[in-house]
Amino acid sequence: MITQEKYRTTVKELLSNGTIKMAIGYKPGSTPDRRRPLFIRTLEEADQLVLDSTCMTNLSGYLVTEGLLSDEKRVGIFLRPEGIRSINILAAEYQLNVDQIIIFGFDSTGREVRPLQGRNAEDFTALLSEIKENPPVIHKEPLLERIEKMNAKERFDFWQEEFSRCLKCYACRQACPMCYCRRCIVDSNQPQWVNTSSHTLGNFEWNIVRAFHLSGRCVQCGNCDRGCPVNIPLRLINQRMAKEVIDGFDHFAGLSSTQEPVLASFKKDDTETFIL
Amino acid sequence: MSEPFEPKIVAFVCTYCTYAGADLAGTSRLKYAPNVRIVRLPCTGRISPMFILKALQKGADGVLVSGCHPGDCHFTHGNYHARRRWMVFRALLDFTGIPPERVMFSWISAAEGSKFADLINSVTEDIRKLGPFDQYQELIKETESPATL
Amino acid sequence: MAKIGVFICHCGENIAAKVDCTKLAAAMGEHPGVAVSVEYKYFCSDPGQESVKKAIRDNNLSGIVIAACSPRMHEATFRKACAEAGLNPYLCEIANIREQCSWVHTDKDMATAKAADIVRSMVEKVKRNNILQPIEVPVTRRALVIGGGIAGLQAALDIANAGQEVVLVEREPSLGGHMAQLSETFPTLDCSQCIMTPRMVETAQHPNIRLLTYAEIESVDGYIGNFKVRVRMKARYVDMNTCTGCGDCSTKCPVKKISSEFDCGLGKRTAIYTPFAQSVPNMPVIDKANCIYFKNGKCKMCQKSCQINAINFDMQDEFIDLEIGAIVVATGFQIQNTALYGEYGYGKFPDVITGLQFERLASASGPTAGKILRPSDGKEPETVVFIQCAGSRDPSKGVRYCSKICCMYTAKHAMLYAHKMHDGKANIFYMDIRAAGKGYDEFTRRAIEEDEASYIRGRVSKLWLENGKMMVRGVDTLLGKPVTVVADMVVLATAMVPQPNAKEFAKTIGIAYDEYGFYNEAHLKLRPVESSTAGVFLAGACQSPKDIPDSISQASATASKVLALFSKEKLEREPVIAINNEATCAGCWGCVLACPYNAIEKKDIRDRSGKLIKQVAYVNPGLCQGCGTCVTFCRSNSLDLAGFTEKQIFAEVMGL
Repeated sequence: MITQEKYRTTVKELLSNGTIKMAIGYKPGSTPDRRRPLFIRTLEEADQLVLDSTCMTNLSGYLVTEGLLSDEKRVGIFLRPEGIRSINILAAEYQLNVDQIIIFGFDSTGREVRPLQGRNAEDFTALLSEIKENPPVIHKEPLLERIEKMNAKERFDFWQEEFSRCLKCYACRQACPMCYCRRCIVDSNQPQWVNTSSHTLGNFEWNIVRAFHLSGRCVQCGNCDRGCPVNIPLRLINQRMAKEVIDGFDHFAGLSSTQEPVLASFKKDDTETFIL
Repeated sequence: MSEPFEPKIVAFVCTYCTYAGADLAGTSRLKYAPNVRIVRLPCTGRISPMFILKALQKGADGVLVSGCHPGDCHFTHGNYHARRRWMVFRALLDFTGIPPERVMFSWISAAEGSKFADLINSVTEDIRKLGPFDQYQELIKETESPATL
Repeated sequence: MAKIGVFICHCGENIAAKVDCTKLAAAMGEHPGVAVSVEYKYFCSDPGQESVKKAIRDNNLSGIVIAACSPRMHEATFRKACAEAGLNPYLCEIANIREQCSWVHTDKDMATAKAADIVRSMVEKVKRNNILQPIEVPVTRRALVIGGGIAGLQAALDIANAGQEVVLVEREPSLGGHMAQLSETFPTLDCSQCIMTPRMVETAQHPNIRLLTYAEIESVDGYIGNFKVRVRMKARYVDMNTCTGCGDCSTKCPVKKISSEFDCGLGKRTAIYTPFAQSVPNMPVIDKANCIYFKNGKCKMCQKSCQINAINFDMQDEFIDLEIGAIVVATGFQIQNTALYGEYGYGKFPDVITGLQFERLASASGPTAGKILRPSDGKEPETVVFIQCAGSRDPSKGVRYCSKICCMYTAKHAMLYAHKMHDGKANIFYMDIRAAGKGYDEFTRRAIEEDEASYIRGRVSKLWLENGKMMVRGVDTLLGKPVTVVADMVVLATAMVPQPNAKEFAKTIGIAYDEYGFYNEAHLKLRPVESSTAGVFLAGACQSPKDIPDSISQASATASKVLALFSKEKLEREPVIAINNEATCAGCWGCVLACPYNAIEKKDIRDRSGKLIKQVAYVNPGLCQGCGTCVTFCRSNSLDLAGFTEKQIFAEVMGL
């Protein structure tokens, strides 16, 4: 509660002295454990701000809304560490100017929310490096372990079962801060690389392409997973790919705003044990 | 009586190294299994993971992707970029149940006609042992059958 | 609506023997969009091409597929035929059913089925081909010749004499290469230096040739007609502008016992030195590794002795950037390290030497002033054993190929030896005498018949010392029994192998090489002087073992290729380049990072009032080389590659 109050005050202060034109935060949602995005432009709106452990959504995707940052004014945003990483990636991919973003960082353990020190993306570099070196012990995903133990046939069946529910509603895409393309490959029909019918094959292709495009860019904020109306465990694929790039290329997505995209760069001695 | 299984394999190769290596196998009159269909691209850098998915959709039991050895790329870096993509894509396929044995990667230079022939033979045999990619065929079949209510 | 023509070539029996062309043509005729499907014995022949042109005109075809040999063979031929028939040449695709089908498969049904897949997928591709126009690029009329041996000199002189500018880069302090080291040359026995040094001088004095010795290629960027080359001028520590080449410095240099590279270790040189007396330029360099001053900061004897103050110990490597239109690679060869032949005793017995060392002994300018003397005691050898194929044609320890020159130079060595030592006895162990060439067989016959060289057909297995004499054990396969020959000196005809850094160097300039490191020609028979990279040509032994006449012929051939290139105002380049869909580009700039050529720029998109709306990627068509790495990176599928578009590849795969 104290954190929430403090941040309300801070937001009001920065709004009134013109440092930021808007702050993006959370307000109560439809059920007690859900939160909605809040766009604070006035002091009154700041009073609606809620900040507690249920504020899960990574809000950074709102920053790339067409035109939001084009007036070069600053915008404040409430972000967990994953969200800060998203900001860094968006900056590294030239989708926003990191100097325009004022970060209200927070994290939570259990039900307790605490603020993070810093205002600008670069202030969090030490924190992010610490997370890279010592990843928080999230609850071990029993499902992930189960999948890794399966043989290829079982894994195939497992995922086809999951994907067969996919509706191609693209909520995962809409929820993801990294899916900022003006036109997604799935919407490109010349040629139609991804089958758009909701056959399992098309669903599989869509999810594979999505995961590939997020490889080395996903910060595991969980937006896609929470967004999925049919509960496909998308986070598992993203986690697996994040592991791949960190093991293979020591790439921790979003470590800094100048990080080179992992799949647009290379090292001459990259591993190639799999190549015949 | 069913026909003996003949694997269908699609190979995506760069024109400067592996395609030239395949030509060399031809001019040297080496013999190899007739199961591979080659798609020629300028560089491994041009070979998109989408191509691999489309080959599987076309019923390929195996896919081979091949280009110049590191350092030999006609375009200097294309194969280095490709190598990273392959590694990531391969892990992704593996995790989602596409056996890595069905999607293979190799370096074959313009001088390695015999490596090309040998590799095609061994890849064909490996895929033959794995058998047809039935699981994927099921998916394809589903897309071809009329929708049912 | 597509109207595709399919032309199935028998290539005589080459394709028809393994692919049922009639069946194939009939099957393709049924394929949607195919208007014509015919077979013929040789479509590349004149009547063949005419029939293709006629079919294009008569049927108003929208694209053609030639099912024949590799596109690397005849794509250009058929594209030209298309253009002549009024069809855009890029609406032609080749289905490779020879190199990649009929030649490699034995089962006719399987081969025919495969050929059908190949042709069908190309039909599907060509339906989506776009009309393209070649890209015009300017030509810089300046050639770079790399290597100052006989091949490089010839290429440089031929180009320069035709009035074009040449930059000649030589790694060593002097021009000359291996030919300058030779004594007399087969089959005429004229003195190598007598014919070589005038060329060296002519090169150095030529107004169109800029000579850069003691220099190495640092990097090569760009493409045909427009290379950017950076040359490292290694510090000589001697000012080329003031040095007169008087040689006082070398005389005064206290370090005199350095093994001479030019004399293959049989002679000595100083730390400040010119490699040999006729060096061009005749200016010394300081060998930093052996110079006392560079080792412990004292000495400077050379500087003190130099009356015109040409020596500068503070000199640094410098870089020169060149704009170049064409490159001739003439980097030559080296001889194989003979240490791997322990049985021949090289390195163990001082009187076992290489052929190149024998050249230095026989050379009038060599360490013995042309006398054949044993390195161990300076005595004249009464018997000499020559061992041919010491490394060549030996898959187990050496190289598989024939080094081509050894049969001839061994015969020459035996003759020179006989001419200098009338009582001497030359025994030659050989596998075959390969003396193909003008006057070559006559030459080896002379060695045998007039100069009494004794040829023993067989290999040597062992060499040992007995009572101060070397004993050479071999087999005489004609007699079918082992023989042992006494020798005062043994000369190994060592294999010619690529330069030690040949592969790394190939990567620097971007050309292909074979398993040994010899540079690959674009086509072994039809394009033997072009490398795999447009605008880079190959001369001399860097491509394969060659003798002097072959090296010179090839060098002149490269010159004619360079001159033909320079005769054009502009070059046409394949229009295979990336293009961006600016409407969908997200401006993430991953493509900018991925592009190996820095060909992708950021382009501002502004509204009418000039306000910046967004930035998108713009591919510079002059710089793009068409690898397509950016296309694969592009998540929004905005980038595409002309000639290999997403639509084309999709159709090609789905057509399989």
